[in-house]
Amino acid sequence: MNWKKFFIAFIAAFIFLFVFGFLWYGKFMDPIHKEVPMLWRTQADFGSHFPWLVLGHIVVAFFLTMLYAHFVPAGGAGAGFSLGILLALLFVGNNVIVFAVQPLTTKILWGWIVGDLIQFGFAGAIIGAIYKPSSPTAS
Amino acid sequence: MKRFIVAFIAAYVFMFFWGWLLNGVLLKDIYAQTPNLWRPQSEMMSLFHWIIIGQALVIFAFVMIYASGFAGGGVIAGIRLGIVLEIAAIGMRLAIYAVQPFPGKLIVYGSISGLIEMIIVGAIVAAIYKPAPARMST
Repeated sequence: MNWKKFFIAFIAAFIFLFVFGFLWYGKFMDPIHKEVPMLWRTQADFGSHFPWLVLGHIVVAFFLTMLYAHFVPAGGAGAGFSLGILLALLFVGNNVIVFAVQPLTTKILWGWIVGDLIQFGFAGAIIGAIYKPSSPTAS
Repeated sequence: MKRFIVAFIAAYVFMFFWGWLLNGVLLKDIYAQTPNLWRPQSEMMSLFHWIIIGQALVIFAFVMIYASGFAGGGVIAGIRLGIVLEIAAIGMRLAIYAVQPFPGKLIVYGSISGLIEMIIVGAIVAAIYKPAPARMST
């Protein structure tokens, strides 16, 4: 494992996931989310739970990077993108289940599906572009 | 391909019954504490096919990831993949907890059960799916 590249890839993925999440879910989808206000925390309550949002993104970025490093360590951005899309499919499946049990609108469901595919596809590509395995030591 | 389909079906059947046992029976009382967050029972039943489709997508993605990079490592590799994927899912759950007013214990129980679920899914998939043997070149 190339820990230096791993760490840089993890930080870059975290920043991308967090900024994209803020723009897509927090800004672009905000009016759509407000159609079902009872499903969300109030602004003050969200503020007091904000550290969980940061921690959640750190965990996702770390384990996506770890998955890539074990999965296709020399694959490059394309392989990272493919892995990100597969991981996104896992979350999309979960979104579809959530849609069946929570009173989400179809606009919210589609917004989450598209958001997950873009977010994890690109996060995987970023990791793939940065992470390179350690070169073998010459014997 | 045949083993891929068999692994998919076996893991799907497990996930379906696990999901029913956990969400429909064991955690029922915790869900009842936040009725405004959930659809009424009749509405959920009318959307039940979405649960089937969603679970199928989760299992399909799992088997695809396993078949693409982990197959060959045996049951341990499957379990390891299940753990890594579930920890990533726990990260997503924490992020959702920050924006939706779920009870904290629902997140804790959901994460523990999710971990058990994905470990078993990983073991099932790895026990069934085997990569095709490499063709010998002459």
